[in-house]
Formats: sequence, C-alpha cells, structure tokens
Amino acid sequence: MVEKISTAGKPIQCRAAVSRAAGEPLVIEEIMVAPPMPREVRIRIICTSLCHTDIGIWKLKDPPGMYPRIFGHEAIGVVESVGKGVDEVTEGDTVIPTFISDCGECEDCKSKKSNVCSKLPFKVSPWMPRHESSRFTDLNGEVIYHFMFVSSFTEYTVVDVAHVTKIDPSISPSRACLLSCGISTGVGAAWKTANVEAGSTVAIFGLGSIGLAVAEGARLCGATRIIGVDLNPDKFEVGKMFGVTDFINGGECGEKSVSQVINEMTGGGADYCFECIGSASLVNQAYFSCKNGFGKTVIIGVARPGSELGLSFHDVLHGGGKSIMGSMFGGIKAKTDIPILLQRYSDKELRLDEFVTHEIQFNDINKAFDLLLEGQCLRCVIWMDKHE
Amino acid sequence: MGEKTSTAGKPIQCRAAVSRAAGEPLVIEEIMVAAPMPHEVRIRIICTSLCQSDVTYWKMKDFPGIFPRILGHEAIGVVESVGEDVDEVTEGDTVIPTFMSDCGECVDCKSKKSNLCSKLPFKVSPWMPRYETSRFTDLKGEVLYHFLSVSSFSEYTVVDIAHVKKIDPSIAPNRACLLSCGVSTGVGAAWRTANVETGSTVVIFGLGSIGLAVAEGARLCGATKIIGVDLNPDKFEIGKKFGVTDFVNSGNCGDKSVSQVINEITGGGADYCFECVGLASLVQEAYACCRKGWGKTIVVGVDKPESKLSLTSFEVLTSGKTLMGSLFGGLKAKSDIPILLKRYADKELRLDEFVTHEVRFDDINKAFDLLIEGHCLRCVIWMDK
Repeated sequence: MVEKISTAGKPIQCRAAVSRAAGEPLVIEEIMVAPPMPREVRIRIICTSLCHTDIGIWKLKDPPGMYPRIFGHEAIGVVESVGKGVDEVTEGDTVIPTFISDCGECEDCKSKKSNVCSKLPFKVSPWMPRHESSRFTDLNGEVIYHFMFVSSFTEYTVVDVAHVTKIDPSISPSRACLLSCGISTGVGAAWKTANVEAGSTVAIFGLGSIGLAVAEGARLCGATRIIGVDLNPDKFEVGKMFGVTDFINGGECGEKSVSQVINEMTGGGADYCFECIGSASLVNQAYFSCKNGFGKTVIIGVARPGSELGLSFHDVLHGGGKSIMGSMFGGIKAKTDIPILLQRYSDKELRLDEFVTHEIQFNDINKAFDLLLEGQCLRCVIWMDKHE
Repeated sequence: MGEKTSTAGKPIQCRAAVSRAAGEPLVIEEIMVAAPMPHEVRIRIICTSLCQSDVTYWKMKDFPGIFPRILGHEAIGVVESVGEDVDEVTEGDTVIPTFMSDCGECVDCKSKKSNLCSKLPFKVSPWMPRYETSRFTDLKGEVLYHFLSVSSFSEYTVVDIAHVKKIDPSIAPNRACLLSCGVSTGVGAAWRTANVETGSTVVIFGLGSIGLAVAEGARLCGATKIIGVDLNPDKFEIGKKFGVTDFVNSGNCGDKSVSQVINEITGGGADYCFECVGLASLVQEAYACCRKGWGKTIVVGVDKPESKLSLTSFEVLTSGKTLMGSLFGGLKAKSDIPILLKRYADKELRLDEFVTHEVRFDDINKAFDLLIEGHCLRCVIWMDK
C-alpha cells in the first residue's frame, strides 16, 4: 500500500461548488484551499445540507451577496490539519462547523445567558473571521469568498477553531450534520431561547425544517399543544412526526387573521409563538397570537435586509409582560449544546432521521437548490465523494 | 351631636373637578354620584395625585379622549358603601383604587406570570368596567364619563371591587396614594416585569416620577449602576435620592446619539433599559443601548396610540435582546401593593421624596400647571374633610 503523503502545511487542490453569479447554478470546479492560519482548522467535508439562508444570500446581487463564493454552512467533516495555537482538535477528529462562534473567552461566551459571541461576532462576511482574508482561490488565482465562516460546499474548507465542535464519530454523519445549523436552531429556539415549559401551548409559523425542529424542541420540553401554521396542507402530516398537534392553513382562514384563529383556539393566545419564515407581517401575526401578560414571541426566520418589524408602541406596551426576541442558532452554545443534542439523538429522544428527505452526490448539488426552492424537501444531504 | 344619616343606597351630591373640554381647566362643580351596583364600591376620596396619563387624555380631542369626564386615577379613600356581592371590603375601610383590575378569578389573575386581568381587561373606557354605564351625572342630569375605572378627582367615586385594594389605614395617605399608580408602575417595572438582578446596570430614559420610581425599584433589587437620561440637568440631583448613580443629559450628547454615549459608558450596553417618557424614538434608543445577548428593553411610558416602533427584523433576530411592555409595573394590585406599603413602613422603599407639592381640591388646576411645566414630581391634591 502506498503511504499517504501528508498535506499539512500545503495548499490542497480539490473540487468545490462555486457560485459565480446571483441566482445561477453552482459550478463544480477545481480550487486551491490554503493551509489553516493560526487558530484555524482545515476540514475534509463528509457531507453537507442546504439551508434556506444559503438560498437567501445566493439570490442577492448586492452585498451581502458577493461573488464568486462558496456557500454551505450546515455540515460535518474530518480534521485534515490544524493551524498554530489549536489544541481543541487534531487531525482525524470528526467535527461540526457552525456559523456562530463559541470562542469560550469573551463575556458572552462565558455567560450562561448569551450565545452571541462578541469576540468573533456574527455577520454575513466574505472572509475568515479572525484574519479577514480568504483561504480559497480558483485555478486562475482569483479569490473566492467565504460564507458565514463555514463554506461547506467544497471537499475541503478552512474554519476558525471557535466555529468548530468536536463530536463523537460514531453518529451517522447525515444525521449529525443537521445539528450544524437547522435542527439546532429550531430545537434550541424552543429549549434555550424560549425555555418552553411543560404543559404549555406553542404556535409555529412556517413548517419548514426550522419550524419542524421547533416543534420537536417544544415536544421534548413537554409542550402539550403545538399548533403549526403553513400554507401547504401536506405539512400537517409531516408535522405530526415532530409533535405538531393542530394545524392551521394560513391561506384558509377566510376573513379572520391567523392570530384571530389562534386566539380563538387557545382562549387568549399561545404561551410561545415562533416565526420561522422571515416575514415581518408574520412576526406581527405571531406577536398577536401570543398571550398578553407573559407570552414570548421568538423570531427565527431571516427576513430581507432592512425589513422592519412594524409593531406599534401601543402593541408592545399593552402586551404587558409579553416579550419579543430573536433567536440566533437557537440560543445554543455550539461546543456544549451540540454534544447534548447528539446524545439525545443516540438515546432515541431527539428525532433527526425524518428531517432527511433526500440524499444526493456532490455533482448533483444544484438539485438540492431546486428541491428546496420548490418546497419539495426538508433536508437534502449532499455527500462528498470518498477519498482513499 | 346629630346622628349621621347613612347615605348607603342613595345618590350622593358632592363636588367634583369636571373636565368639560380638551385641554381646558377643570371646573369644580356639584355632581350626583349614584349608589354602587353589584360588585362596586363607593369611596370617599381622601387625597389624589396627578399623573401624566391624566394630562395625556385631558388634552385628547378625539376618542379615547371624551368629555365631560372626571379624570384622576391615583388616589386613596375610605369606603362609604358597597354594592351587592362585595365581601372583601366594608364601610370605613381604607382603600386604594387601581386602574388595573385584579379580579382573582380569571386565568391571568390566578397565574403568577401575568398581571393583565382578562375578565376586566384594561382599556381607556368612559364607563364602569362591568356594566359599561356611568355612576356620575351633573346637576342637569347629563352623564359624566369615568376615567380608567377610577375617576378620583371627585369627593366621591364608584369603583369596581376588582379595582379596589383594602390597606392598612395607619400609613400616611399622601404616601400610600402613590402606590395607586405611579410609584407602583415604576418600582414594579424593575422588580416584577424586568426582575432586575443584583449587580446589574440599568438605564432609565425619562426621570419623571415613573422613571425615578424605576430607579428606586432597581436600587431595591440591588442594581449597582443606574444611569438616568433626561433633558433637564436638575434631574440628576433629584435622581440621586432614588438611586441614580450616573446622568446623561440627552440634549448634550453633541454628535453622538444617547445610545452611543450609553454604549460607551457601559462598555457595550446595559442589562436593562426602561423607556419612561412615551416616545417611540426613545424606545429605539433604549433598544440600541441595551446589551446584546441578554439585554431587556422595557416600555413603560405611554405614547400616542398610532405611534410605530422602527426596529429591523435583522436587529431583533441577531441581537439576543428582548423587548417588552410593562403595564402597572407587572404588579398584581391586591398582593403587591401591601408588600410595597410594608417596605415603605420598614423604611426600605422611599415614597416621601416623590411628593413635591400638596394643594387643596379647589386648586387642582395648579397641579396640572406644575406637571406640564415639569416643576413637580407628585402633587398631592387633598379633598376637604
């Protein structure tokens, strides 16, 4: 057997799905991936899945849209090499990259109350977070931009160690990768951000992967009534798998608003309302579907840049103790909470399998975009080809 | 001495300060106060104080402004008589009326988590809450409208039992009456709504009576830095009495916004920001200087009904900040007012310093002048004995 030559410290040539223009199919091409700088980790991606946020930014012609770019931020991989100053992980470790940093050093990361790292704050940046440069070039030497500090639509990527969580390698990668973004975001929103109490009523606007993950999280927290709102009636059957108990077709409420219907069904509003689409008007509906006095409205969906909430002063004041807040990555601290969620999956408490509705090869990555745009899938897992 | 004839069950003729037109001085005139209906209590007012919300609705030409009306909602009195089905209080009891209902029967009143009674929900109504009628008429028989279910600018008023709390009569009435609205609202916003943690940093926009009561509440909760924001520099000295540790003159920030200044002073934002003026633009400033990750912005002030908050979805999504309102400080009148009165009696909660002026009922319009000119905190209006 030929001994494997170490690639550590050298650039790697590999295949990536490059987005060269807004809204156009990705092109599989050979690229160069530079070695990791200090505090960085180079990862061989095993598999990755498509998330709506990739699509949202992929469609943008103007910043934060930037081209050429390597999208993808929900993934799992194996460490190929590490840069200086990295002790947490080593070559061969199985890791999950996350778009949110968990540096462990700043006030936010040290606090139990916050998951928004202030040392490497979240932004839709074209660069690596710490050194604000790119590790990717195409074969013409042209810089290729990063996406959300992960860029997983490539055989190899470079990720800052604050964005890397080492995990148990025995978990099936097409399940574990879901905790890199979508399922963690949804489950966390119920578990961490809202801290859903047992016996409560929850309303979820939008039953995509995120909304269904919120339902799953609410179910695990012991919510007894989980109302799902969607325009697609098929989502009810799908939703039942994740704990949805009641369904409202947002397009069939007649003259009533969805919030009126929910207020009637619940006798005054749900305890927690989650907006999982990214629509300011739905955020309003969610707020008004929430019990006055102590309900929590949680915004998870990513709206168009600049879009305003449009709540009135009066609405907020008269909601009394009812509160509204956003949830980034479900309020989850990647390095402590992802292993907890993986354990709950292994213990057969947390459902992950049912989120994966499609699996394809890397060459067919554009099919994943088609499926998600047509609303025909939950998570489509994209497998990188194996390397010997 | 002649035996006092009981007035129970009969209409009472007495004096009231009637607001007959938006923004015009109140007129002291004789009115008739009907006997209480079931679940109602007729109260002889001892003293009452003016609150900015009275002024707001006194100025309002269109609904929910409505005239002729008896304003006033912060007060203390003695029960003169009760309607049927009232067991909680009886003639002679000292009581505090509240604009917020605490019926004790609905899901909200029974829950620890909410103070928004759903049986008799809060609204700026011209009527009594349960029967939607008025107990007041002038001597021509014309209906006079109620205000916030209290209407305390009158020698006698009628209040629903859900809005009445019996209290210890030994506490000075010109202190106890403050817990009927303003000081409870402010202290409660810090204590109950925000649940301010020991050692935290608090910012208060607007150092009127409400804002100063928030400071007092935050101080009692153990906040270590209490930043007061106001246009009037005199408010700092006053604020110190209530626990304000730092002052920002919002008119003196130069090129910077108030929130920028506060973010600098606090190194990234405060744990809790309270808006106590009633301006959407200030709510936005408050949100901008509450700390990302865990900061809470609490809206306490009252703005015009149509005023919109301009916050982007992206900011709310990514900041980790919470936005909420606070009505009556999140307090449940019947359980929390006695707690606050006891804390005053135990010399923990300050009330005395809120009363900067005292006038007689005949001079009630002076109270309006003082508050509008920003020259007072609470002006207590004493009914004649």
